[in-house]
Amino acid sequence: MAEHLLDVEDLRTYFSTEEGVVKAVDGVSFKVKAGERRGVVGESGCGKSVTAMSIMRLIEPPAGEIVTGTIQFDGRDLLKLSEAEMQDVRGGEIAMIFQDPMTALNPVYTIGDQLIETILLHQDVSKSEARNIAITALDDVQIPYAKNRMEDYPHQFSGGMRQRVMIAMGLSCEPKLLIADEPTTALDVTTQAQIMSLMLDLAEERNTAVLLITHDLGVVAGFCDTIQVMYAGTIVERGTGDEIFYNPQHPYTWGLLGSMTRLDESQQDRLNSVRGAPPSLIAPPRGCRFGPRCDFATDICREALPILHQSQEGQKVACHRASELDLKSLTVGVSS
Amino acid sequence: MTERPESDALVLDAAEGISAEPITQWDLFVTRLRRHRLATIAFFYMAFIAYVALMAPLFTCEKNDVFCGRQPVSMSFVTTVIMLIIAAGSLYLTYRSFRSGLRGAGVALGAVGLVSVLFLVSSWGLVDIPHINHYADQLPDDSGRILVNIAPRGSLPLGTDDLGRDVLSRVIHGGRASLAVGIVVGSLVALLGTVVGSLAGYYPGVVDQSLMRFTDLMLGLPLLPVAIVVGRVLPELRFLPDFLKQGAWGIAVLLGVLVWGSLARIVRAEFLSLREKEFVEAARAAGANDRRIIFRHILPNAISPIIVQTTLVVGTAIIIEAALSFLGFGVRPPIPTWGGMASSGAAIAVRGFWWELVFSAGALISTVLAINFMGDGLRDALDPTQTIERK
Amino acid sequence: MTDTVPRAETDEAGALPEDVILRVNHLVKEFPINRGVFFKKQVGAVHAVSGVSFQVKRGETVGLVGESGCGKSTTARSILRLLEPTSGEVWFQGQSEDGTVDAPVDVAGADREILRNLRRELQIVFQDPYASLNPRMTVASIVAEPMTVHDIGTQADRLERVKHLLQIVGLSPEHTNRYPHEFSGGQRQRIGVARALALNPQFMVLDEPVSALDVSIQAQVLNLMQDLQDEFGLTYLFIAHDLSVVRHISDRVAVMYLGKIVEMTDRDALYDRPMHPYTHALLSAVPIPDPSIESTRKRIILEGDIPSPSSPPPGCRFNTRCPKAEAGKCDVEEPPLSELEPGHWVACHFPEVVQVV
Repeated sequence: MAEHLLDVEDLRTYFSTEEGVVKAVDGVSFKVKAGERRGVVGESGCGKSVTAMSIMRLIEPPAGEIVTGTIQFDGRDLLKLSEAEMQDVRGGEIAMIFQDPMTALNPVYTIGDQLIETILLHQDVSKSEARNIAITALDDVQIPYAKNRMEDYPHQFSGGMRQRVMIAMGLSCEPKLLIADEPTTALDVTTQAQIMSLMLDLAEERNTAVLLITHDLGVVAGFCDTIQVMYAGTIVERGTGDEIFYNPQHPYTWGLLGSMTRLDESQQDRLNSVRGAPPSLIAPPRGCRFGPRCDFATDICREALPILHQSQEGQKVACHRASELDLKSLTVGVSS
Repeated sequence: MTERPESDALVLDAAEGISAEPITQWDLFVTRLRRHRLATIAFFYMAFIAYVALMAPLFTCEKNDVFCGRQPVSMSFVTTVIMLIIAAGSLYLTYRSFRSGLRGAGVALGAVGLVSVLFLVSSWGLVDIPHINHYADQLPDDSGRILVNIAPRGSLPLGTDDLGRDVLSRVIHGGRASLAVGIVVGSLVALLGTVVGSLAGYYPGVVDQSLMRFTDLMLGLPLLPVAIVVGRVLPELRFLPDFLKQGAWGIAVLLGVLVWGSLARIVRAEFLSLREKEFVEAARAAGANDRRIIFRHILPNAISPIIVQTTLVVGTAIIIEAALSFLGFGVRPPIPTWGGMASSGAAIAVRGFWWELVFSAGALISTVLAINFMGDGLRDALDPTQTIERK
Repeated sequence: MTDTVPRAETDEAGALPEDVILRVNHLVKEFPINRGVFFKKQVGAVHAVSGVSFQVKRGETVGLVGESGCGKSTTARSILRLLEPTSGEVWFQGQSEDGTVDAPVDVAGADREILRNLRRELQIVFQDPYASLNPRMTVASIVAEPMTVHDIGTQADRLERVKHLLQIVGLSPEHTNRYPHEFSGGQRQRIGVARALALNPQFMVLDEPVSALDVSIQAQVLNLMQDLQDEFGLTYLFIAHDLSVVRHISDRVAVMYLGKIVEMTDRDALYDRPMHPYTHALLSAVPIPDPSIESTRKRIILEGDIPSPSSPPPGCRFNTRCPKAEAGKCDVEEPPLSELEPGHWVACHFPEVVQVV
């Protein structure tokens, strides 16, 4: 039994397009312990979703391909499994929740049918047992009148309720890892609060590891033990919530935090924004990928790609100048 | 807090690496079309068919001349040269624009326009039978006997039919009828369907309801029987100009008037969704009037389904014309059409003389297929969501 | 402090205080639900906006927040007559170039010609930078469109102005011949802002202008909007669902729920001393990017979902989900929006200051 539930090593997932090879994930390594809640944060196109899809082996050739890397899950390399073995893993040991619960549910089958089908696929139970498990699962995600609602179709549920159904479906087979890809992005803020507190309770209760993929640093703050920040296909910083939020070592993390408007204080002045836009993943800039947008870039940043290393502050950071920069003293808009 | 450069503009450009040359809609269109190999082949195939059909008088005259040892019926020398130059030029331009992604849809449209005009001009040949109706000539051999039902061989690559006429020259001339139907139906459908659909989609309520119920009525008409009846009556109508009574033109106009309904529905749906788009709202917020919103904002964005649906309707119309001719209600003999040839070919095919049927039907099927592939390719090429975008 | 009163009764047009640029009185927008093909029969209505009143002072930013379906966007579109309001008045009091205040005009009742002229003063920036730019037009013709429509200047003048506007919003003036698909989301939003600025408007509706953008780009656009406000003295109505963005940019904030304003006050008062139970729930639900604050915060989790606006509940519209609702009171009697503290308007039978942030 490996020490870590999930151990991703040097993962590279590329997509070939008309314009060239898009290096969506380019050398990502990380480990997740059993029961750990890990946040994967970054802006669109940083590779956070592709990382998740790669773990689930949902990258469709010929457009996309996992070029190199290993994904050790519970002692097995997922990339070496056959498609049939992988199907058992998906939805069984690893469950995934998507951003848009409407497209993830089939509109022509009832919620009950879809839940029962998932359960039958992964568990050796009779149909009536599966039905009971399904009802319990719906109860667990606090859907009122679960028994009656089994017969309803997805369109009869509201957005928040559908996401609850997705969570029920994901957790019905007692997975060891739950990958939630922007699970609340399509939802209103009050519904988001409901869903996140539900997920937190369920994950803690069952000791399920969660990989929460999101662009919203606020959501991560309340949910995750550890956080990795991704930028242009690489991890630029990884650490505990406190390390990332109160003492960011990478200028991108720092800029991202400064870009955020906050509910708990009135900022009159301009936001401390990151200038420019993310680089092309086909021809990423030489050296540090954040270099062209970084206020602190020097010659070395334009020459060599920084690797993720242990910083003096505790977290891992991929920045040449992490040790000499004192971002904390520059921090604007982040209270501690 | 450190100094931050305020001039976002330069930084944005540097970071995004936007190329110096803007990518036009036309570039994208060509790139996407060329990615669709089948459609590209179909385009060239259709260009070939159109070219051969246009030039039918030249090819077939010469052929008969060689074979029969008679004087070729001369088109005016000047006309021939001009037609050749124009046709070759337009084909060349089309080829160029495909090869180099030549900027400006104008060039290609010009080329296509030229081909169409040329075709329309030369198609008068269909009416002007006495000069170029060699496809109706029965071929005698040296001893004066008519060569009936000759299997394909060197000098008669597609053989002769039961009246001793050259199948190759008839297939070539038959293409003119099909293409005439294609172009007339295409233009009529695009015009009627777009106008009706736009009005219905943009003005909800009474306008929409009455236009769409009329469209439903047109869609409800049983096409073949109506076409048969009207086609039968057409030649009897004294007030009609001659060219509508003979040849494929009358049929073409008739079909065009009957089959625009499906396009109207699609255009209406397109308008209904586009008029809710934010860029239309933005135009309204700027104070734009209905005319500007329709012509500047909605119609250009609805152009892909219009073109695609029109190509599909054209394919169908060519088949319907063939079916009518096959049944004997379409273009009258001796003017050849693929449908008519398939009909007479079928009659002799049972006796083992398969070539007239196979070659006419083959020409018909491949042409309709090519048109449909073109439609497919156009749909993909004109779909803005297929744009490769930075996300 | 009565100048921010959401009046029930319309004042005489001339009675608007000088510093008010826009006053909305009892704005109602209902979408009929019809049945039947030829003989349409109205079988109901979606009550998207049900009597909204507020006013905006010249140069300030009013935030209008609420969750999806609360009617905030419909309110904005009805104010601009992009949707025809069912009833209500929208008084716009512009200012001439020499600084004198013009006579107020009722946008909701304006005829075609007056409306066309009003369009120069009232502009909008849309949420979706991908849908709000016509994909088949160049940047130059998109930004110049308002000028083209109003027939201002020659083609060359307009091009000059477009280049100037692009510079103002932080884009390169060389981009005039590009098409929208060549730009990123943030850049497209800048193009949309340039278009809205083209006619030098006085009042701008910003309809969720940053919610489709990434955080770092969001900050750039927010900064841009603030710079523009300072530079051109613009007045903003900022529509958003993100309460932290609203806190950052607004001077005053109105919270909407199911077609009605439930609470309206100064920015800091709303976040520090919210009084309506819905505001409490909304504020407590917004995550704060700070682990230690998050770990100690208590969320007020609302039961159920927002009722359908086609059959809003009787009495207070929030009573079906409200933790404080009392049967016989809240589900019968609609609470009026009343001024409980100076400038702090709340529509609740049991208002109470709760600190949730």
